Amino acid sequence: MREVSDQHLEEEGESEINLTPMLDVVFIMLIFFIVTSVFVKDPGAEVLRPQATTALSADKASIFIAVTSDDEIWIDRRRVDEAGARLAIERLHTEYPEGGVVIQADSGAHNQAVIAVMDAAKTAGILDITLAASVP
Amino acid sequence: MAKKHIASINVREEESEINLTPMLDVVFIMLIFFIVTATFIRETGLEVTRPEQSQAQVVEEEGAILIIVDSTDDIWIDGRVVDPRAVRANIERLHAEDPDRPVVIQTSNTSTAETLVTVMNASREADVYNISIASAE
Repeated sequence: MREVSDQHLEEEGESEINLTPMLDVVFIMLIFFIVTSVFVKDPGAEVLRPQATTALSADKASIFIAVTSDDEIWIDRRRVDEAGARLAIERLHTEYPEGGVVIQADSGAHNQAVIAVMDAAKTAGILDITLAASVP
Repeated sequence: MAKKHIASINVREEESEINLTPMLDVVFIMLIFFIVTATFIRETGLEVTRPEQSQAQVVEEEGAILIIVDSTDDIWIDGRVVDPRAVRANIERLHAEDPDRPVVIQTSNTSTAETLVTVMNASREADVYNISIASAE
């Protein structure tokens, strides 16, 4: 009688799946995604980037600013003027002190707006400025 | 007596085991959240520097190669209008004369970003990576 009950218990123990290795994997994935997740603030305007064969990937970038063909400046899904751009960059810079600035200027954007954004970034204390270009 | 004792041990063992299911649920939901929100933005571009001093000083002090982009998107090097495809050759020639010279691009307010990127790209193709952008006063 006892033998039967022991056997029964053993079978139950074997039929339960060991979740520990899966939990390990899930935790490692979770930590990986938490660490790598940078909540990138996309500028909110789509631009046609100029082409450049020597363009390199901007790895450290975390502040994205778009300058459209109508010379509108977009940061963080909002349209801002030149003075507002400086404030927005400063605010984002305090959030991501390590990140650089990427200016996504449209092919037809005028350089006055592009240089105004560059100066705004420089005034905010960011030296890592990249002008977005696509590799043809 | 003996059977009862074994049964009580079994019950206690079952109770002492922590139920992991709710934690697993939470962990999975967090995992899915982070996978979904992870946006790996891959942006390519050209690095720029904006000089502290005025471009006239840079040109004078460091003997920089001055490239002017005027309001009609014409590119001027050494007082001549240069075709966008010939910019690289011109910079290469000037770079060969004195390899330490940086490039200073002076842009007009109404020139387009495409011309600016074209000149920067040409300069990088000619192995001059020290590029500064100045605006016309």
